Amino acid sequence: MTAVQKRVLINKIALAFSTLSALIALGFLFWILGVLVMKGISALNWNIFIFEGAPPGNPESGLKHALVGQAILIGMATAIGVPLGILAGTYLSEYGKNSKLAHTIRDISDIMMSAPSIVIGAFVYAIVVMPMGHFSAWAGAIALGIIMIPVILRTTDDMLQLVPGELREAAFALGAPKYKVILSVVYRGAKAGILTGVLLGIARVGGETAPLLFTSFNDNFFTTDLNEAMPSLTVTIFNYATSPYEDWQQLGWAAAFILSMFILGLNILGRLILLAGKKRK
Amino acid sequence: MASIIDIKEECALHVRDFEFTYKGAESPSLKKITMPIAKHSITALIGPSGCGKTTLLRSFNRMHDLYPGNTYAGEIEFEGRNILSDKEDLIHLRTKIGMIFQKPTAFPMSIFDNVAYGMRLQGIKNKTELSDRVEKALKDAAIWKEVSDRLKHDANGLSGGQQQRLCIARAIAVEPEVLLFDEPTSALDPISTQGIERLVIELKERVSIIIVTHNMQQAARVSDYTGFMYLGELIELGETEKLFVTPKEKLTQEYITGKFG
Repeated sequence: MTAVQKRVLINKIALAFSTLSALIALGFLFWILGVLVMKGISALNWNIFIFEGAPPGNPESGLKHALVGQAILIGMATAIGVPLGILAGTYLSEYGKNSKLAHTIRDISDIMMSAPSIVIGAFVYAIVVMPMGHFSAWAGAIALGIIMIPVILRTTDDMLQLVPGELREAAFALGAPKYKVILSVVYRGAKAGILTGVLLGIARVGGETAPLLFTSFNDNFFTTDLNEAMPSLTVTIFNYATSPYEDWQQLGWAAAFILSMFILGLNILGRLILLAGKKRK
Repeated sequence: MASIIDIKEECALHVRDFEFTYKGAESPSLKKITMPIAKHSITALIGPSGCGKTTLLRSFNRMHDLYPGNTYAGEIEFEGRNILSDKEDLIHLRTKIGMIFQKPTAFPMSIFDNVAYGMRLQGIKNKTELSDRVEKALKDAAIWKEVSDRLKHDANGLSGGQQQRLCIARAIAVEPEVLLFDEPTSALDPISTQGIERLVIELKERVSIIIVTHNMQQAARVSDYTGFMYLGELIELGETEKLFVTPKEKLTQEYITGKFG
């Protein structure tokens, strides 16, 4: 065998192994999605959106409580995480730049991004749930908001830094004060990227279960009281899927399907926005 | 020693013993520069890369202040005051001394909003006044015919040459006294370059212009006065024709005949 033939052979073997690995990894992904779609769609019906939780065996049971609770929790978390994340990212890119403080914040934010979410749940349990004396939607939203901050902070920082420096200088050269340069030129130039970061941040916390277990806890009934325990899709999935009742398990599949589609949709939307933004340039 | 002509006409700016040092640098990047800038004429700054011509240009609107730690010394007189003073209102200064950059810097907004940007900063809200002045600025920048039917379109859809003329329209819309051009055609094709040069010559009736260029032909074509800089010093300032035909300094002659650069 010549040296060249040997190289070609090694190349083919390596290619075969990497292709196989990719197929196995993708195979699991599609397997999960496939099971989820089949079981989820067959469990879907209008009752899910009309009725709240009920004892097992009751045909008039649904997920209304969990859907609304999830929406409230995500909405509040967004209201906490998005302004803090965007403002902090703006500080890093436009004011802190390469200062020591800015670098420290970036490092801490990276650590926070990979911190186990249950730790953040425990933290909120200690500073919100304990003093209040009971679980609440507030505690759940604060936990999710904290998890959201580093994701949005980092994308905002990165996206603002992509805006060319000349654009800022051109605005300054027209006599714009700094806050106007940021608001009217820099944000505009980075808006697709920032919006994507926000959507990814929402998607990131949408699937969180652990930090909710001991913050907003759960409730099998419909509630909009922010001072009480609040049901969420994720904890509901956990409770229903692990229950011995057939109809609760069905509801669990439906909840898992709805949640996955929501997060998948957010991810796809985020990518589309980035793509559209790139095409324009 | 430097050979600086004495300008008899009225001057827009007077630079005296000006020195500029970048943050952390041991020696100044610009050394003891003294030069008059004639009003309503075009002064070109030429010289090899790194000679400090852009650094000098960016001192006139104190662009260096955006990056803390840089220091000025000496004096730049404009409208009877030293603009290097700590008390100088930079926002006001930059509305009086506008700037056009090497790369077109169209903002990510519509053509109309781009031109209206500076006026809106000055608090002009009246819609008819805004649209009148946007139209006038676009006409003065010789781009009105190309964009009049798509003022609401994104400015990033324009070609490089059109974007550069849009930036000029944006700069003249706030009616500055001085316009600084930092190699405004180095990113453009020859036809667009011609358009910009013609425009620069037309504009000098209303504003005083300083243009940095590394293209000596461009300096010869458009400018009334030319300054030759080398290693942070102004070697010679003279009427463009005389400087290119009979330079007084040996360095200038060597540079314009292509012996180095």
